[in-house]
Formats: sequence, structure tokens, C-alpha cells
Amino acid sequence: MSNVLEVKDLEIQFEIDEKYYSAVKDVSFYIREGETLGLVGESGCGKSVTSLSIMRLLQDTAKVSGAILYNGENLLELGPAKMRGIRGNEISMIFQEPMTSLNPVHRIGRQIGESLMLHKGLSASEARLEAIELLRKVGIPRPDEVVDDYPHQFSGGMRQRVMIAIAMACQPKLLIADEPTTALDVTIQAQILDLMRKLAAENNMAILLITHDLGVVAEMCDRVAVMYAGKIMEQGPVREVFRNPQNPYTIGLMNSIPKLEGPRMRLQPIEGNVPSVRNMPQGCRFAARCPYVMDICREQDPGLLGAGPEHISRCWLQADREVQTQ
Amino acid sequence: MTEALLDVQDLKKYFPIRRGVLQRVVGQVRAVDGITFSVMPGETLGVVGESGCGKSTMARTILRLLEPTSGKVEFEGKNVVGLSKNEMRAMRREMQIVFQDPYASLNPRYTIGKTLLEPMEIHHLHTASARKQRVADLLDRVGLDPDYTNRFAHEFSGGQRQRIGIARALTVNPKLLILDEPVAALDVSVQSQVLNLLKDLQDDLDLTYIFVAHDLSVVRYISDRVLVLYLGHMAELADADEVFADPLHPYTRALLSAVPVTDPDQKRERIILKGDLPSPANPPAGCPFHTRCPAAMEICSKQVPAWQEAKPGHLVACHLYQ
Repeated sequence: MSNVLEVKDLEIQFEIDEKYYSAVKDVSFYIREGETLGLVGESGCGKSVTSLSIMRLLQDTAKVSGAILYNGENLLELGPAKMRGIRGNEISMIFQEPMTSLNPVHRIGRQIGESLMLHKGLSASEARLEAIELLRKVGIPRPDEVVDDYPHQFSGGMRQRVMIAIAMACQPKLLIADEPTTALDVTIQAQILDLMRKLAAENNMAILLITHDLGVVAEMCDRVAVMYAGKIMEQGPVREVFRNPQNPYTIGLMNSIPKLEGPRMRLQPIEGNVPSVRNMPQGCRFAARCPYVMDICREQDPGLLGAGPEHISRCWLQADREVQTQ
Repeated sequence: MTEALLDVQDLKKYFPIRRGVLQRVVGQVRAVDGITFSVMPGETLGVVGESGCGKSTMARTILRLLEPTSGKVEFEGKNVVGLSKNEMRAMRREMQIVFQDPYASLNPRYTIGKTLLEPMEIHHLHTASARKQRVADLLDRVGLDPDYTNRFAHEFSGGQRQRIGIARALTVNPKLLILDEPVAALDVSVQSQVLNLLKDLQDDLDLTYIFVAHDLSVVRYISDRVLVLYLGHMAELADADEVFADPLHPYTRALLSAVPVTDPDQKRERIILKGDLPSPANPPAGCPFHTRCPAAMEICSKQVPAWQEAKPGHLVACHLYQ
């Protein structure tokens, strides 16, 4: 299977007080056709900025380097017109806040139809019919009536369904979903995840799923990349990473989540706080909080080392047990 | 048997819906609609439910931050509903609250020292120097540097702010802490730090907790007993282990099955509820859950199920068990 998206050595810098600091560094990953990749990490780890950079939605003040290859073409080098042809058409995005990402003064039908008229050249009446069909597909009752409603008439879960309908309108090859269920209750979250899974399978659509919830990753993703302080710490097939986590940060995250089943053991939190972007340690960025820290960790970043088929971990502990792949 | 520390009986909180120029009352939002439970000293009662189930309103109504519409709230045998302002203020020394949003619940113009001194000043506790000492002790107790007293809230991370919120609640030495989504705004690694802190404080200071949250795994971790709310009504109440091992109410079952678990191999039977939460301004007749319930029967739309014991110590409001 070929890769839909390939991100290579992505670095994103922001200017603070006339100096540039990297919010994201050395980030590389790929997504195959029809595959779901989870990008997981805590607030400030750079996962959302990464997703915005793929869509080229970052402000001009951000310095982005590296390569973002979509079907072999580097998105970072595309002109505005070409990029518009891809955005919302071949790659589309849904956001966390279904209220703020819909336009409150336009009817739902118009917002869904917009990209169809723009990218597919449909007429207004054709787009409206298609919008009704899309509303039906995302499970909204009475689609022919609500197509003329405004966003405020919908509940949070229903708005997220509308967002998905907008994103699906042009049958994209890749859907970027940035915390799509974080604002929703668990029973509604289950509905939305179920819908996303179904639509992805029907359309052979790849998903880049950005989340802080390891449970959502376990349920939705084929592969996962765990980010910490702007770098990928561990990446691999979901089962591998969850069954056999290699990186101390991944292990720490797993140990700090209370479980729904089994004995109620005392949680083992990761002590300390995330380093600030202006004050990143020169060695491994997790060193200050790592229970296994060694001298070398504070001096030098180990880079990503092989831990198994398609499984890599950024940790000096991996150096002794590195698995050669390929 | 020991006496309950808090006894809540048939607590109701309705909010009027006003319309038109004359602001006439045209309806009511039944946010909390008849809740009864008690909390034993030293116990943690977890209260779960989705947004709009009334859990936060209930927390605030118990403290009379919102005036209850009807019902009784007895703290150590004394009904707090109907207490005068002064009596209520004295009562609040015994019951304190920690809010969800550590960004909005600290005064940005106050130093941390002032934030922690204020409750003691209001309640005329200790001498000035003893207050200062207590502030330093409390900061240390919640895992912060006592030298932080001159800093402002914006200088702290979310987890640190929540520690400050907890320290503030503890300044007056309360017996009962109502924790309203205290870790919902925190990242998982910090969340676990705060949860462990709450457990340690409870052991050291003999605190009683009402822990309100939407996250079921967090509630399971911290609670002795769990109360499940739906649309302002009680659905189920039992020991935490019992609720999670043998949930009886179809809503509790659906809620549990909807939580994504961190095990990619675990294929659970998922109950996906249809539709959204009905509006509490216009609740369905009969059982409030019948519109979404996979096990709904004819009687469910007609008659409100009684709140009764289905197993020893396991209360549920559902026609399946009557």
C-alpha cells in the first residue's frame, strides 16, 4: 500500500521576543492509504501545531521546515491556489470545538455545500441535494428539514456530525481529526468514533487522529506516534506500543491512567512538569522527569532507535537493545 | 452504625425560564429533580453523569451557592436549608468546594498568599502570624514551594493552580470537601499527581469527599461509593466496585461500555445509545432515560421507576428490577 502522507524532519519554530524557538522538531511519520495514525500527547507537545502545518494553516510568523509529502508533492512548496485545491478537497480537517468551527450565520446546508461548489463545480441546488445526502450519511435525523437550520439549533454531538459531513463532502483521501471528541460526552463520543470508523472504511480514507486520550487511540488507530515536548518519543503499531511500550514516557503515561477494570492500584504519576519551549534541555527532552535517567540523557538526544517491526523509540535504553529493521 | 456526615433528602433545584418583556416564568429547567443520599464520615462518594445531568448544580446546591428549590441538606444533623446568611457562613467552614477550572477560580489580582489568607481572615481563625505559618504549611502539604506566596495565579501551571485551589479549601479545616471535576482540565500525567494528593490528604486529615466527575475511570479510582445521575435524577447508587463489576441500570451499562479502554485487544460489546440527552426543561414522562434506553418497556414511558434496593446496598431506579 502506498503512503498518502509522508512527513519528513518537520520543524516548526515560533518567534518569542525576537528569538525563534522550536515547538516541533525532528518529526517524521507516514500514513498509508486507508490507515488511521494516532498522534498522542499532552497539551503543548506540538500535536495540534503539526496537524495545522500539514494543512498550511499556521500563521506566517511560524517558520516551518522539512517536507510534507502528499502523493509525492511537497505541500510546503505549493502556491496558495494549489494549496486551496487540496484543502477541504483531498485533505480535510475537523476540530475539537464544533461550535466555534461552524459559521453561526450560515445555514448548515450552505456550509456543507460550499466545498462541493468550490471543488467539484456543483450548482447551488445540486450542492443542497448532496448536503442532504451527506447529513443522512452522518446519521442526522430528518436531513431534508435540518439542512436549512443554523448551527445553534444543534447539540454538540450533532454539530460534530455536521463538521464530519463538511469534511467528507469531497471524499478526501486524508482526514485530519484534531481532538474530534474531546468536547463530547462519552456516550456521544462513542457515536462519533463509530461514525468515523464506518465512513473511513467505506471511502478507504486515511485518518490522522490527534488526541490526548490513549483509550481513543487503542480503539481507533492502526499505528500511533507518542509526542512529548515537540518530538516523537515512540512510534509503532498500536498493539505493539500498548502491549510492549519501550519509551519511559509512554510507560509513564500508561501508568498514570486509572483503569476501568482490575484491582484499584495506586497511580504512578510522572513527576514534574513539561519543559517550556524557551528552555528545552539539550539532551533528551524527557530526561528531567524520567525515572531511568542516565548521564548521557542530559547531554545528547538519542534519536529514534529500532524496537521492532515499524516500532521505534527515542531512548538511550534502546541503544543496548536496538533491533535492526529493514 | 455511625451517623452520616451529610444527609441529602429529595433535593430539587429548578431554574425558571423567563420570556417576553414582562419576564414571565414560562417553564422550568429541572436541573436537579429529587436526589437523596447520605455520605459517611471519611467516605468518598463519586457522582457521575454526562453534561447536563445536574451533578454540578447538585454540588452547588448542597453548599447553597445556589438556593435549593426544595429538599433537605443535613450536615451533622443540622439542616443547612433555611440557615441565615451568618449561620451559613459559619457552616461553610465545615464544607468547602474545589472547582473544575483552575484558571477561572483563582483571583488573578491576588497573590497566592492573599488567596490562602482570605478564608482564614473571613472566619477569624488564628492570629496573623499563625495564619502565615498555616499558609506555608498548606503549600508544602499540597506539594508546592512555600516561597510561592508572593506569586500570582498566572505564574502557575494548571496542575499547580489546582493544588492552590485545594490548599485554599483546606485553610479553614473543613470536614467535607466537594470536588467539582477537580482533574477534568488537567493532562493525564498531572491528573494522576492531583488524584494521589487528594487520596493522601483524605487519609491524613480525615476528610470526607463528594467527588463530581464525568470520567468514569477517575471516579472508580477515588470513590468508595458511586452515584450515577441522569437528567437530574438518580439512576444508580452502590459501592464503587459493585457499580463497575455489576452495573444494573441500562444507562450505567451504556456509559461504562462507551469508555474507550487502553487495550487494543479488548473487544467489548459496545452499547451505543441513540440520540441526545433530552432537555431538562422538557423531560420525558416516566423514566427520564426511556427515550434512549435499549431495554425500554411500555411501562417506562408511563411511570417513574421507584428508587429501590435491587441487591443489598445497591440502589437503582429502573423498571427491570421492580
